[in-house]
Amino acid sequence: MMAAGLANITAGFGRALRSWAQRRQGTDPLEVELHTRRIYILPTRAGMLFAMITFVMLLGAMNYNNNLGFALTFLLAAVAIVSINQCHYNLAGLRVAALGAEPVFVGDKFQFQFALHNARDGKRWQIRLNWDGQDEAQYVDVPATGQQIIALSLAAEQRGLQRAPRLRVSTRFPLGLLQSWAWLNLELTGLAYPRPAERAFGAAAGSLTQAGANTSGEDDYAGMRQWRPGDSPRRIAWKAFARTGQRLVHEYSGAGAPVWIDWSSEPDRNTEQRIAKLARRILNAETSGCEFGLRIPGVEVAPAQGPGQRHRCLQALALVGAPAKVAA
Amino acid sequence: MSKQTAKDRRKEPARGSLGQLLWLAGALAVAALPHLPYIALWVPIVVSAVAGWRLLAAGYRWPLPSAWVRVPLALSGFAGVLLTYRQVTGVDAGSALLLVMATMKLLETRGQRDRAVVVFLCFFLLFSAFLREQALWAPAYLFIGVLVLITALLQVARFDGTVKPATALVTSGRLLLQALPLAVLFFLLFPRIPGPFWSLPQRGSQAETGLSESMSPGDITSLALSDAIAFRVRFDGDAPRGSDLYWRGPVLSEFDGREWEMRALSFFPKLTEQLRDEGRSAGYEITLEPHGRRWLLALETPIEWDAKAAVISAPYQLVRFRPIDKRTTYRARSLLNGTTPGIMTERGRTADLKLPTGTNPRSLALAQTMRADSADDAGYLNAVLRMFREQPFFYSLTPAVLGAQSVDDFLFNTREGFCGHYASAFVVLARAAGIPARVVTGYQGGELNPLANHWVVRQADAHAWAEVWLKDRWLRYDPTAAVAPERIEWGMDGALSRGSIAGAEEFRGRFLSSGLSMSWDALNAAWNRWVLGFGPDSQSDLMRWTGVTTPSLRHLVVGLAIGMIALLGLAGAWHYRQLQGSREPLLRAYRQLCQRTARIWRARHPAEGPQEYACAVATVRPDLATELNALFGAYARLRYDGAQDWQRVSAFSRAVRRFRPTRRPPVAHD
Repeated sequence: MMAAGLANITAGFGRALRSWAQRRQGTDPLEVELHTRRIYILPTRAGMLFAMITFVMLLGAMNYNNNLGFALTFLLAAVAIVSINQCHYNLAGLRVAALGAEPVFVGDKFQFQFALHNARDGKRWQIRLNWDGQDEAQYVDVPATGQQIIALSLAAEQRGLQRAPRLRVSTRFPLGLLQSWAWLNLELTGLAYPRPAERAFGAAAGSLTQAGANTSGEDDYAGMRQWRPGDSPRRIAWKAFARTGQRLVHEYSGAGAPVWIDWSSEPDRNTEQRIAKLARRILNAETSGCEFGLRIPGVEVAPAQGPGQRHRCLQALALVGAPAKVAA
Repeated sequence: MSKQTAKDRRKEPARGSLGQLLWLAGALAVAALPHLPYIALWVPIVVSAVAGWRLLAAGYRWPLPSAWVRVPLALSGFAGVLLTYRQVTGVDAGSALLLVMATMKLLETRGQRDRAVVVFLCFFLLFSAFLREQALWAPAYLFIGVLVLITALLQVARFDGTVKPATALVTSGRLLLQALPLAVLFFLLFPRIPGPFWSLPQRGSQAETGLSESMSPGDITSLALSDAIAFRVRFDGDAPRGSDLYWRGPVLSEFDGREWEMRALSFFPKLTEQLRDEGRSAGYEITLEPHGRRWLLALETPIEWDAKAAVISAPYQLVRFRPIDKRTTYRARSLLNGTTPGIMTERGRTADLKLPTGTNPRSLALAQTMRADSADDAGYLNAVLRMFREQPFFYSLTPAVLGAQSVDDFLFNTREGFCGHYASAFVVLARAAGIPARVVTGYQGGELNPLANHWVVRQADAHAWAEVWLKDRWLRYDPTAAVAPERIEWGMDGALSRGSIAGAEEFRGRFLSSGLSMSWDALNAAWNRWVLGFGPDSQSDLMRWTGVTTPSLRHLVVGLAIGMIALLGLAGAWHYRQLQGSREPLLRAYRQLCQRTARIWRARHPAEGPQEYACAVATVRPDLATELNALFGAYARLRYDGAQDWQRVSAFSRAVRRFRPTRRPPVAHD
């Protein structure tokens, strides 16, 4: 009962602290040097226990009038006080650069990369990174005058652009008695592709023929042409490349006619299911190596091939109805 | 790449936690070591067994025991301590319990906080060790212990395993060094509140003393000489002669025919007023080792003392109401005339003449005869002393056991004994002749430590003598001096080394008056005086010395605050330098480069960029053009090219240091 009350108070205090920090800091650029004024510090629970123990020792030393007891007590207290400084110093002046995350499908995890730069000629120990309010954390020691790259994962929950929560950079160095931390309100977003359907075609028949036609293009060899950006590496004529040094690409007769993956060709009435099916077809098309384009209401992605095209199409799909979504 | 290593490390927590467990075990060992001689043997065995099992479990990834195993184990540990010591408080029992519980905690170390709790318990163990042992090596052990424990805390606070021991030790050592000045400040300035808040546990067998409340010489066959220190004395001026050094302790007035005992304490105030300005006196400071009894020692005959709550009892004995349970320092001043004031009432006279009827009949008869042969009381007592001196009486530390009539047996049969025998026989003979008399115990002599300029009085210097009531005051008679004058003149040590005491062979060489032991004693005394003895009084002395005449809480708080602010300011300034550190060497080197270039022609204008300035100077000194362009160009690249690699910066500053342009161009010879 009391513990619950205490937890409520702590949580309320935490919320107030966060919103106050948010107000005074505002939004941060993607590369931030942790200035001393934005580093907060509080004792941990182990630190509170340590303070209690030191106090009991002080009482004991007073009671026995034992000067070695006093010496031990005061030494421990002084160590704790000095460690306030060291804990804070361990974080002060660290540069955190957000490197962003590769797009992932909904349900997978973003790997947000951060580069931690340490300009000081002393190691920074036990830097902990986590999303505010989430337990999963990464620890890293940043070497002297060097940098360390660290990835923090985040579940992709909804298709579209997903804003990363506030980043918390903290440390309990040296003795775990204190925790100093900084909040980074980065404008950091990750793109979540829609989760593709298991199969591209359900009961609807029309799409089968279309999809089948799309993938049959590799049968008829049509010759070679110059490489263009976006061509699949699988089509590069590696033998010719080794011989001549020119990058040539095998061309097939089917490839001339791009496949259109069309919103209106999908019979499903449910928008999300329709998007899932289209996403699956984009993946299939990319795997097969043919040229494909995407037509969805308001957007048309011109036909091309390769991973770049896949990304363009999936991005367009992810952002369907976007202005409303991004705000979320 | 770095992401990969971070991930890999997280995959093997077992290795990390094994290292951390090793550190925990090491912390336990360091904290337990000073307790080992004092705690029951089973405790370290159980502790090593459990800790060893825990390490193996971590190594082989055995599952940790469930609460069904841990709770009974902890309870049986508690019961074991309770059965061994019959208590769980006390220093011995408490430290054994702490050790057992810290070890049990090892069995459930999962998170960082569990591990930290073990280290915290180790801090307590270390603390309790100092309740028992405060010798000179203790502070060294304190530092080593704290260093190891802090390092262990540093290691177990890490989430992903340990770092190299050397790295961790350096880090925690730096922490400790930074903390040291602050700790000294706390130690000196933290308000000391005197007095215990709760009762101190009894030290039991530790409070042994050469003196006790009773004396039964007939039962002792071998007087063990203990070289333990009873107290140290520092005289204000020259020390009195060795034969004046009678340190008065318990006065034994009750005799049952065999054993002497203290009479219940009673007090006559103002005895000392009889004594003012009479003859030679000596002022001195005594540092008394704790002995657990109520008496203080002082040179005969104390007239002033500053020991708190100490009073003079009726038999002129300095006593205090609280037992001496810690090292106590007090000043006193004594008269050196061998007499003690007293008030002789009729009842007191009867009591001081009392001899149990039917005991020692031959002694009583001897006393009657000798008294009849003497002119007066003083003559009689001198005759007794002469008897001890001239007849074959011997001083021996290994006397024979005396029979039922102990004084008769001593005077007529064995005729050998130590101070207790002679004092006892002398008092019996005096009382038998109608002279009130009593036995005084205490210490006699002492040993000068010239290095520290203090005297050391050991338990072996314990002595007993007699006091008789003559001419309205108590006069000291030391019958032992009649038998073994060197014991009085040279002290026990001197007498032993001169070989004049029977039974002394086995004790000879016990006290090495060598330089080494003298230095050790001097060091110990300084430690006791300046560090262990630091308390409320020394603190106010210190405050007075710093000019604060009446130290108040306000002064202390202000002093502490100033000290803290100064220290924090220093630390802040240092950190600021460190924060600026990456940029500063470059700027410093550039400033130096500009200074050196300015010698050639002119100083750089404030608004002039590095390359502009280099070109301008090069127009005057074309022979330096390449060098100048290289140096200023390097600065511009370092300054404005983003990353400031410290290796490049230091290469640049080295180049600047090598750059020593001449004021004039070299003269062309051709």
